[in-house]
Amino acid sequence: MLVFDELKKNDPQLRLVALVLAAGLCILLAGLWWVQVVSAHEYQSHLETQAYRTVRLPAVRGKILDREGRVLAENRPRYNLCLYLDDLRKQFDAAYGQLFRQARDMQKQNIAAQEKNLGRSLTKAERKQLAFSTAQLEQLHEQARLGVANDLVAQFSQQLGQPLTLDAKDFERAYETRLALPYPILKNLDDVQIARFEEKFTGGLGTDLDLESARVYPSGTTAAHLLGYVKLDTDSVEGEDSFFSYRLPDYSGMVGVEGGFDAQLHGRAGTESVLVNSQGYRQSENVWLQPEPGHNVVLTIDLDIQHAAEESIAAHQGADARSAVVVMDVRSGDVLAMVSSPAINPVFSENPPAYLNDPKLRPQINRATQQNYAPGSIFKPIIGLAALEAGLDPDALVDNPGYVYVGQRHITDLAAPGQYNFRRAIIHSSNTYFITAGLRAGIDNIIRIAEKFHFGERTGLPTRQETKGNLPSLSRIHSDWHDGDTANVSIGQGEIAITPVQMAVAYSAIANGGTVLWPRLVERIEPQDPASGEVATNFPSGLVRDELGVHPRNLQILHDAMLAETEDPEGTGYPARVPGLRICGKTGTAQVQDEHNRVIDHTVWFASFAPYENPKYAVVVMVESGISGGSTCAPIAHDIYEEILKKENTPIKPRILAEAK
Amino acid sequence: MVNPSINEREPKLERLQLAALCGLMFIGAAFVFSATMANASSAILPWYDQIWVRQIIWYALGLGASAALCLVDYHTLARWSFVAYWATIFFLVVVLVPHIGTVHGGARRWIDFRVFQFQPSEFAKLAFILAAANFLSRPVDELKQRGIFWKGIGLMMLPFILIMKEPDLGSALVLLPTGVVMMFVAGTPKKYLLKLGAGVGILGALFLADILFAPPALQIKIQEYQRQRLLVYFGADFASANATLEQKAEARRLQVDRSYQGKQALISVGSGGLWGQGWCKGDQTALGFLPPGAAHNDFIFSVIAEEEGFVGSILVLTLYAVVLFTGLRIAGQARDRLGKLVAVGVVTLLFSHVFINIGMNIRIVPVTGIPLPLLSYGGSSVLCSLIALGLMQNVHIHRRGY
Repeated sequence: MLVFDELKKNDPQLRLVALVLAAGLCILLAGLWWVQVVSAHEYQSHLETQAYRTVRLPAVRGKILDREGRVLAENRPRYNLCLYLDDLRKQFDAAYGQLFRQARDMQKQNIAAQEKNLGRSLTKAERKQLAFSTAQLEQLHEQARLGVANDLVAQFSQQLGQPLTLDAKDFERAYETRLALPYPILKNLDDVQIARFEEKFTGGLGTDLDLESARVYPSGTTAAHLLGYVKLDTDSVEGEDSFFSYRLPDYSGMVGVEGGFDAQLHGRAGTESVLVNSQGYRQSENVWLQPEPGHNVVLTIDLDIQHAAEESIAAHQGADARSAVVVMDVRSGDVLAMVSSPAINPVFSENPPAYLNDPKLRPQINRATQQNYAPGSIFKPIIGLAALEAGLDPDALVDNPGYVYVGQRHITDLAAPGQYNFRRAIIHSSNTYFITAGLRAGIDNIIRIAEKFHFGERTGLPTRQETKGNLPSLSRIHSDWHDGDTANVSIGQGEIAITPVQMAVAYSAIANGGTVLWPRLVERIEPQDPASGEVATNFPSGLVRDELGVHPRNLQILHDAMLAETEDPEGTGYPARVPGLRICGKTGTAQVQDEHNRVIDHTVWFASFAPYENPKYAVVVMVESGISGGSTCAPIAHDIYEEILKKENTPIKPRILAEAK
Repeated sequence: MVNPSINEREPKLERLQLAALCGLMFIGAAFVFSATMANASSAILPWYDQIWVRQIIWYALGLGASAALCLVDYHTLARWSFVAYWATIFFLVVVLVPHIGTVHGGARRWIDFRVFQFQPSEFAKLAFILAAANFLSRPVDELKQRGIFWKGIGLMMLPFILIMKEPDLGSALVLLPTGVVMMFVAGTPKKYLLKLGAGVGILGALFLADILFAPPALQIKIQEYQRQRLLVYFGADFASANATLEQKAEARRLQVDRSYQGKQALISVGSGGLWGQGWCKGDQTALGFLPPGAAHNDFIFSVIAEEEGFVGSILVLTLYAVVLFTGLRIAGQARDRLGKLVAVGVVTLLFSHVFINIGMNIRIVPVTGIPLPLLSYGGSSVLCSLIALGLMQNVHIHRRGY
């Protein structure tokens, strides 16, 4: 072989040298084997870590629809004008080159000037001082980039006819942290701007329109409280890869349906891998997990009835009215409308208008579910039911002198003095009658029936915004409870507090023969693409929470009395009547007291159901600071029932799925 | 009368070595191309500015120079060895003078002749080999004298110190094994060498301990970047123990910066795997992770390793092995001690370069600025490697002919 025949000769030194050489090469061989074969995988992953970035691609958010498939919330494409920083590399370098040459020329001039002053050439050390530090070069780079970006922005400003500014700090930050992603300089272009852009700028230059999905609410402020709002954020949701280099932001629901059903609306984000070079510029990209779109949520809300209610409130009480309306289907528990006024804009804004925090208006509260109110006289039917169950004779007459004494306390009755039976007491809303009935029935019976209605408990709506109201518990009424307190409860004041939706459930129970239902807000959750083959999830309707267990005869008595309230011209609910529809209702005016028990306000109500023959709908209207249930709330209920009647009389439209559009 | 035809001469040139050389030159051109043409901006340079073209030109010039040298018997060359030696010493001194030597990367190693950068240290290595071979080819008994021994050491230390001052630790270091091996093969008594080895070993260990562990006051003054390279290799903390939190953070950042090159080279080599990514398809250079300035010279091996994988690295190692072992054969077949020493010197020089450079790429040796002979881009390096190999061929041509 090569050298071995020589080594057979007696040359120990060469032999040793040859051995050392061989040993050295073997060490290299072993090292290479270790690095390239054994540890190859580890180094490959190092390479990938530094050269690959993962980008989270958000999924398309599901729509929110009403029961007939009309859109309440959906996504629209939004075009942003963006700079693609990697494509601008050449411009950046060119600009930097120019700046650098300028700076160098200036430096040369500086040196020449100094030398002239000193009359000699500068020493090495002095030259070094004038040389560019890395910090200065870095600044030149920044300047170059900013210059190029500003030029482009100015160009766009001119062409699009719109003043645009570039935030230097934000731009630098984007360059340093999100180089591979497009940098937006103008968001949400309208059609004219898009047309202008396409006309003049197609073909590179490092700029393009980037497509983003924006959440829009076509019905404006309708059902805003119910829908909730979404916020743009970049956090991953459970079930997604959580290690991303960049998370493109997408929407995450806050309160309301957007919040409560965020998991279903959200879909699942996908992943894209981007190959970057050592400076972070994008070289190529590759999608390895497609995003999965979210599901549509179909609500039980009927947009027509919802609109009618909102318009009615605005027409009768103005846009600043503090009011709530709940319309329920008494047989299935479906919530057909839920209105809270004042309305808010469901589109989330970083700078909300000042009025959102107005301490009196408090527009952000969903008054239908999130606020406790004293029921006032609309609680009387429940008292009446308790009394009837306890053996009250509805025809027995109670003498009402215009007031009643409970112990030492004098309580005025707004109903005219006279003899009242059950029916008349409901029609005129007599305090005396019901206080007497309540005392006779006993607070225990009242509370037991009230518990069947599940006052003082949440109705279980999936929108994360509900208060419990207040019902004195059995232990409460057994300790330090006086007749005066019972009297208060009998007229719907004192320690009882309810929310409009609880009242709607209660009146539905009265209407449908004694079944307390769980209100249903969401009908079903279905896939966005009907062709995807996925099955929709239906939420069962008509879920029973409780049975009142009262005599049907007593309910009938109540129905008749409440019918008279709206049909009898003397009834407080007369303004609510709609020709062609027999409505049963009850007005209420509750006092609002401050800490010193002085009356500072009134909350007015109208709670009702219709039609009398075969109840189907329950409508509860509440207005804060109103005049009286009859004059303030009943007209609103009237408008709502008109709409309901109209719908009943028009032929049934087939269900339209949103996708068919 | 029968005249047996004596084969007066066997084939003149050592063909196997030449073949290996051609293989290495081809690989060199190909991978310098890959390392430098990876980014778009170099594609628009005119052809005479492109680096791989220049490399081929250097190859041609080098081959020409070595061919010219082979025409002259190496004994004649040896007679001029001391002239060459002192000339290179002169240039080594000159390059240290501030206005004449150019600074690049913190070291003053080159003299700028406009058309090319002349690096005296490369030529000094060759001159040293010739001079040392000449010096050591005296009768073996003379070598037993202490005086001669120390003169030999002095011969080695003079260029060593001058090169260290540039500073160029790598080039200076390769002189040491070359000199020692030449002395060993020449027949210097073992005990001198062993004592020398022990002394150097102890000094080296003390030196390292001082650099790594001693508090700043006691540290020997070497260049900051050299010290940092040693610290990076041993994975030691840059900041001293009692540094403030800010200083430590700063030191850590510096450490990441300094270990960047070595780390990237290692990733390049490792991610090549068994078969590599393919010629011109290496990600590390294309994406700029391997610093473009270093990819085509000191770290050319990592480019080859990434693109051709383990198979490619083995090929390169084999070609070098062929060159080195044929060199040893030439040494064995040399006509006299001068020839043997010259051949051994060249082999050791080349081996030291190869070992340190490839070792640096796979992190068994700290980062030093040593080129890989024939594969790295660099005029002086290519020229000197080819001239050195020409010297070996020279020894071969004029060897005993049986």
